[in-house]
Amino acid sequence: MIVSHNELVAAVNKAFLGMRRSCGEADIIANMVADLQIMGLHGVRHFNNASAFMGLENDCPADIKVTGKNTIEVDLHNCSLACYLPVVMDYAIEKMVGFKSLKIEINNCHNRWLAYSELVKLSAKGIACMAKWDNGSAPNRTLYVLNGGRITPALFLSDEVNASEQRLHDMTIELSVRDFDVVRLSEGYSMHVDPNTFAQAQNSAWKNGVFIEDAQWNALKQTATAILVENSEQSVKGAGGLS
Amino acid sequence: MDADRATRTEATLRNADVIMAPERLGAMHQTRISFVRTLIRRMAQQQWKVSKQEWQLCPQGFGHVIYKLATPHHVYHLVVFCDQIADNERNDRVIAEKWDVTFALVYGYVDVSLLEKLRSNVPLQEAGRNPNNVLVLARANKSVRVFEHIVSHLAKGVQPNTKDLAEVGYILRTTAVYGNGKFGIADFKLLDKNPDFEQSFSAQMCAVYLLRAFSLDWVNYLATQRGGEQATELHSELQRYLGVGNATGLGMAPYLINHPCIVDQWITTRETALAAVLDCVTEADKLAPLQVLLQKAIRHLEQVMTINETQQKLNTIALGELTSLYENLVTLVAQSQYWRDLLVQSQHLSLETQEILAACLMELYPELVDVYQEQMNCDETLSLPSGKKIQDLLLILEKNYRWAINTDFTQPENQYWFWYRSQDKEEPRLGVRGEEPGDDRESLLDIGRQANRLYHVLLGQASERFLVEFLVQYPQYRTIARRVWTMGNKAMGDIQMNVLHKASLPMHLLRCKLSMFGATTFDPRSDRWVRVTFFQGAPLLDEIHAQTAKDDWLFPLLPNQDELLNNEQPLGSKGL
Repeated sequence: MIVSHNELVAAVNKAFLGMRRSCGEADIIANMVADLQIMGLHGVRHFNNASAFMGLENDCPADIKVTGKNTIEVDLHNCSLACYLPVVMDYAIEKMVGFKSLKIEINNCHNRWLAYSELVKLSAKGIACMAKWDNGSAPNRTLYVLNGGRITPALFLSDEVNASEQRLHDMTIELSVRDFDVVRLSEGYSMHVDPNTFAQAQNSAWKNGVFIEDAQWNALKQTATAILVENSEQSVKGAGGLS
Repeated sequence: MDADRATRTEATLRNADVIMAPERLGAMHQTRISFVRTLIRRMAQQQWKVSKQEWQLCPQGFGHVIYKLATPHHVYHLVVFCDQIADNERNDRVIAEKWDVTFALVYGYVDVSLLEKLRSNVPLQEAGRNPNNVLVLARANKSVRVFEHIVSHLAKGVQPNTKDLAEVGYILRTTAVYGNGKFGIADFKLLDKNPDFEQSFSAQMCAVYLLRAFSLDWVNYLATQRGGEQATELHSELQRYLGVGNATGLGMAPYLINHPCIVDQWITTRETALAAVLDCVTEADKLAPLQVLLQKAIRHLEQVMTINETQQKLNTIALGELTSLYENLVTLVAQSQYWRDLLVQSQHLSLETQEILAACLMELYPELVDVYQEQMNCDETLSLPSGKKIQDLLLILEKNYRWAINTDFTQPENQYWFWYRSQDKEEPRLGVRGEEPGDDRESLLDIGRQANRLYHVLLGQASERFLVEFLVQYPQYRTIARRVWTMGNKAMGDIQMNVLHKASLPMHLLRCKLSMFGATTFDPRSDRWVRVTFFQGAPLLDEIHAQTAKDDWLFPLLPNQDELLNNEQPLGSKGL
């Protein structure tokens, strides 16, 4: 299925609004999904995975505490990161004033891929960002780096299990006013996707439309129907009686 | 003088509390920088060429037609499909499934393969999928009475009755004009470096203007088919008088609430252009042109037909006030050092009259106003800066959202309506809270109520507390906090309307957007939908091609008998 960016954003927006959650912002989540999808990083699939559980998750604030002079720890209570990351990043940026770098440890969270959109906003402003996490299935380890000014990431994947400290529902984000040493950070990751590859995918999506697997698009469209009110004689009058 | 004017203009925009009030927005009129006016100026100045590429219609007028549009930068095609439908299938609502005419504006060329793809999808509208070289997807229905009246008269070699034309003002009436990625077509972002259509809604306006040319060609063609040698073409003055109708319902209202930055940009740009005029010293040589414009406005209002009693009353009041203004204009202008003084003197008049006067004044200074026509786009991001405290946001709310924070939302009338989307093509609708099903799926258009809730929860916080700390604890307020901060720091800001109130009129929102587009002849059919006309009085394609197009079509007028007799050679579409 080829869809337009606007169609994609509108569908996610409606789908999230239909969940009637207090925490989470539909317009921002819609862009989280679209920003991933146009790079070929399966934003819709991640959102569909998230939406299957969002209704069961707590709809309560995250717990944030400053654990060191430039370290923040966040507990998302097993909720989707998509619903909380903007608040967390606002808080982190404010705490970063006076420091050259900051580490955010996000614990007990899901849908970690969806963090990308918030980080790319920061890198576009010149703040270098790094995100990494472990997963229970392949790829077992994921790392991406957005050095200052970059609008697409350098992505590193590994199927090697982190035997010493496997944290399957946590994520580490680091922010820095200086660029990260990508070579050093990516040691041990066997797969590498160049930022230019994502840039080409992005350009192609804008030019030719955004590709989404049919099943994923249909699932998203189905979720987006939750906000619709069934038709009735009374509701037809509510449209204003154009004829 | 220019620098001085620029400085004063910054400070002399009309007050946002006045301009963004719904009743004022609901009295807006076309101005020089409405989108249709900007488009026609651009077409004429850059000598855009339109030609018929294919005319594949049967003698009854069904089939397809392709027009080529060549600008100095690109080539486009308008592909029009004309289908036979039964009278009982002709429905202007979004939920309709058949139309007399469906059309698409395509970037580039249309080969056989693309034409067949369009033929399979464009007539289906929302149910079809179109490639992303389609910029605009739209449909229209005939005004059956006018269509038949014109064709039957022309077929007999006589011109139609002007009175019958005046009652409608168009041959075709669009019921939806889609752009920006709808149903698979091109995203607006694809046009952001396109010098032809980089401005908001300009591609949509162009598609509608080309449809107007088609509607004129269509009736002339059918008259010839029916009348043979006896037939004549529609008089050029009548052709110019006819525009394209538009039926707009509730669906347009959520756009204005959901795109606050765009609305602010449009209104701020219009107000800045107006301020540039108002800060000019009144000049004697502008008096006569202003008198002509006011006379046109008076005649236009006399000719507007509306079944809506409220609009009839408003028009009658404006007519009386404009007549008085016209009669006393010499004295009033003499008493005014600046044009602003004249507008201030009109503040006791109805909003319709005030806004008509504002539109007329802008018409006097094209050199000051037209420079703003390219400033209709903006960044839509709603954001919160770092370092702000509770008291900072409270200040913004108290300064810019009084209309919301002073509303008691515990009173039933203040949240009487709820907005929702129906399963019928996701059409936006209004329901009565507590009486109709669906308020559990209410659309979040309740900006006033959200701002009110934010205000009251902020009052319970320490004023020195950082906003980010508050939002960590209360993340549900982040969306409205971003909006309040962003819009509260803009010149015009949010529309100051509680759309849940029992007496709120969605019509005001529709009129605001339609007037920015450049619609005329507002004919509300209820408080939820309105018929208007686009491009009525606009230059014909021949005039654009011949470089004889006039930029004076504010307040379109029915040609009088002298004009029809003095110009017997119809321009028609022979030049195509």
